[in-house]
Amino acid sequence: MSSFIGGSDEARDLQDRFKLVYICLSIMVTIVVFRLWYLQIIQGQELRTYSEKNRVKESKIPAPRGLILDRNRAILVDNISGFDATITPQYAKRLEETAAAIAPIIGVDKDSILKTVRKSRRQNGPFMGARVKENLNMDEVARLERLRIDHPGLSVDQTILRYYPSDSVGAQLLGYVGEISKRQLQRINRTGNDANLVQGDIIGQSGLEEVWDSQLRGADGLYYIEVDAHGRELPSDNPAFLELTPKTEVAGSNLVLTIDQDIQMAAYRAMVEQKDKTGPRIGSVVAMKSNGEILAWVNVPSFNPNKFARGISSDLWKELVNDPFKPLRNKVVQDHYPPGSTLKPIVALAALQEGVVRENTIVSAPGSMRFGNRTYHDSLRYGHGEINIVRAIESSSNVFFYKMGIQLGIDRLAKYAMLLGLGTKTGINLNNEVSGHFPTTEWKVKAKGEPWQPGENLSNAIGQGFVLANILQLAVAYNTIGLEGKHYKPFVVKQILAPGGELIKEYNPQLVRDITDQSDGKTYIDLKHIMTVKKGLSRVANGEKGTARWWKIPGVKYAGKTGTSQVMSFSADDIYSKCDQRPIMQRHHGAFVGYAPNDMPEITVAVLTEHSCHGNTGSVPVVRDIMRAYFEKYRPELIKTKKPRKVAKKAEVEN
Amino acid sequence: MQMEDRSLFRRLDVNLVFVIFALNIIGLINLYSATHGVNLTSTTSYFWQQLVWLVGGWAVFLFLTVVDYEAFKRLAYVLYAGNVGALVAVLFIGKKSLGAQRWLDLGFFRYQPSETMKLVLVIILAKVLSQSADKDGLGFKQLLFPAVLTLIPVGLTIKQPDLGTGLLLMAIFISMILFVKVRRSVLIFFFVAGLVCVPLAWSFGLKPYQKQRVLTFLNPGRDARGAGYNSIQSKIAVGSGKIVGKGFRKGTQSQLEFLPERHTDFIFSVLSEEHGFLGSMTTVSLFMILLFMGVRVGSEARDRFGSIIAVGCMSLIFWHVTVNIFMVIGLLPIVGVPLPLLSYGGSIMITTMATLGLVSAVAYRKFLF
Repeated sequence: MSSFIGGSDEARDLQDRFKLVYICLSIMVTIVVFRLWYLQIIQGQELRTYSEKNRVKESKIPAPRGLILDRNRAILVDNISGFDATITPQYAKRLEETAAAIAPIIGVDKDSILKTVRKSRRQNGPFMGARVKENLNMDEVARLERLRIDHPGLSVDQTILRYYPSDSVGAQLLGYVGEISKRQLQRINRTGNDANLVQGDIIGQSGLEEVWDSQLRGADGLYYIEVDAHGRELPSDNPAFLELTPKTEVAGSNLVLTIDQDIQMAAYRAMVEQKDKTGPRIGSVVAMKSNGEILAWVNVPSFNPNKFARGISSDLWKELVNDPFKPLRNKVVQDHYPPGSTLKPIVALAALQEGVVRENTIVSAPGSMRFGNRTYHDSLRYGHGEINIVRAIESSSNVFFYKMGIQLGIDRLAKYAMLLGLGTKTGINLNNEVSGHFPTTEWKVKAKGEPWQPGENLSNAIGQGFVLANILQLAVAYNTIGLEGKHYKPFVVKQILAPGGELIKEYNPQLVRDITDQSDGKTYIDLKHIMTVKKGLSRVANGEKGTARWWKIPGVKYAGKTGTSQVMSFSADDIYSKCDQRPIMQRHHGAFVGYAPNDMPEITVAVLTEHSCHGNTGSVPVVRDIMRAYFEKYRPELIKTKKPRKVAKKAEVEN
Repeated sequence: MQMEDRSLFRRLDVNLVFVIFALNIIGLINLYSATHGVNLTSTTSYFWQQLVWLVGGWAVFLFLTVVDYEAFKRLAYVLYAGNVGALVAVLFIGKKSLGAQRWLDLGFFRYQPSETMKLVLVIILAKVLSQSADKDGLGFKQLLFPAVLTLIPVGLTIKQPDLGTGLLLMAIFISMILFVKVRRSVLIFFFVAGLVCVPLAWSFGLKPYQKQRVLTFLNPGRDARGAGYNSIQSKIAVGSGKIVGKGFRKGTQSQLEFLPERHTDFIFSVLSEEHGFLGSMTTVSLFMILLFMGVRVGSEARDRFGSIIAVGCMSLIFWHVTVNIFMVIGLLPIVGVPLPLLSYGGSIMITTMATLGLVSAVAYRKFLF
């Protein structure tokens, strides 16, 4: 306490109040000392670490995704680099000025720049750069770089974009990429394999891009830059900072597909080009080599995956989702249909193997038959006369196969249909494959709660009713028939290559089973019965009453079967007569599944054209074009020489 | 004249001058560091400008020291009326800065009336309070007039909006009436009134950004890159200085612009970061010595007015220093209160030196009877 020297009387009463003042000052200084002690001594090291991090910005170097190549190493999916102009809201202190400055350079008006930035700020927070212009040219890049010094928050980012050179051809198979969603991030990081994914990363969202994402993606690199709080980069000579070792990015692996881009293009053209009053068609195509390698995979209408590379506009997305013909669907495996008459060869195999008929059994096949209290019609009003099983396949007699259905019963038929792969997934490694369906009496009771009706044996025997299959299943089944029992699993990825080109993994054709094999005690089919059915299939394209006989490949004979899938239930007369007059959505689908050459196939093709009414005019020309493209490329000697054709014709007559 | 000069230096409180001078030197060194970062525009001008304010501040200090402070007692109402008038003028013709209207552009100088208002309030309260003594302390009747004198400028500054200065004026008022002693009933009244007013002010009085600041203060992690950013960055800056600091101009937080307003409100965190616990303790100690010395001047004053004005002036300095340092070290929400003698700025520098000049004047005249 101070000595009281000269205070006047009137001030004396305040003297004891000074004690209070000194106490207040002491309390304040004590608090400050303890707080500084706590922050600088106790927490000092921790906060020092924070301050180090503060000025080091981790920057990601995106790893280029692996390429996707066709079987001849033609590029199906590529990467291109581009430059985007972005504004980071947090650092853009003079946003209005910045927007005004860059507007004339990038050719976007100031207000829409401001709108974009503000919207991004609301949605992604202040630290995520808002993309105000994509795909800058080099002149724009140079001019923006000069502006960056005066406009914090403005930056020019290099991006890698996925590029699909063939646009919409095969888009559903190749798929597209997009930013990872919050849900995907949780799911993928939970599985633990890809724990380093972060928000904003681009991943495959459909097709092969999605299925093979972990191989294609690669690993992003990291580098460190010293920045100020405005995000501006600084030249750094700080040793502590230089100790942080950058991580080099690792490019993704490349995929080599079994696809042949030439055949793929031929398939696409055959579907979309306007020819002989048909097309552009709607539907799906799959072509495979007889060892299971997929050669072509087309769905039309299609979409352009390049539009997804930068994030699709909501208008376009709505348009694609609401399109009645569903361009985004990979219909080859995602959709199943009643197989219609394409089921008949399988029914024939069952009937032959079960001894219901023999090759030369003659059956009466009129234009209609009564069963129970219903009349069942044929596509030909006056029927096919007295025919054997080969002729029944050739001219696609319904009544013949109604009779087979009655005698076989659904359960015996189901056994053989499943042997050929119906009702189970083919095992091709793609998402959302449907298994199709083949009914049994047991299933009917379980699923529908009512017993199997005898009349249902008839409709299901011609591929209507409860039977459902996707066209890949049909292709595999026909391939098995064509190869006389050898069931190959379809596959689309042949090799995985390291970025440098070294082979990482190779996928070989996989024989599932030889269905003529009796040694393992499972269901089998005798080779001679398969040969009988093959004769019928060959006559479909080559016989005088064959339903596909109008379309030929000079020098190569093919075999197959047409079919029609009912879209809606009509009375029997309407089914075959008035299809072309109905509104498009009510017309039937037409299908053709075939292989070539007819004696020992090299290629099997299945085509389903939606709402085309007929299997022959709708789908046979497409199959023919694809096969011709294949033989012109791989077996030109067959096409050029006329001689083998004559020999083949002679052989046909002998049948 | 010669006699006057010699007596000036003899009677001047040299210790007080020395402490202020020491803080000036620390302030200049620190300001130089804070404004010589990598990216700040027109960096050197801050330093030289501050030097000019400092010279002006010392002129004011010396002038006030030699002028008989009785003059202020007489001029108190004139000064008060003029300053309140300026506050009103700010509301109508003031210049905007960071969303608040605080300045009057006088051509050569941007005058911020709320800064001088603090000192003028001290003078007028000292005058009023020195004239109304009571053994049991002041009652409601005696406090009514000082309270009205305080609430007028408080309302005007909050209207700007400048909540920080408004609360500072309140703090000065409370400090001064507590110093001259109030009745127990008054103490209880203020305590209860405070309890009632805080929630009311929260609901009706505060603007959203002000509420945001308080919420952020209570939980800075709430929005670490948004509203809590300044508070967290400042704590990191202070703490990362550790014991001896990162060194002159080596503070990464300040040099790399992670600290906002680092040459004004956050000047202390620059100091703490670059000079560590030792540097910040030295500065805090100097402020404490200054405050103790100033209060002691009050206790040695020749009259009641001198005592009260010295304590009032030191309460002004005290609240600035406390609020600013508490804010920087994360003990108070972010309010725009500069640190006297260290922060950049003309108004605060002149006001601080004038305040200290008044204290010096009281010391200068303690021997005159």
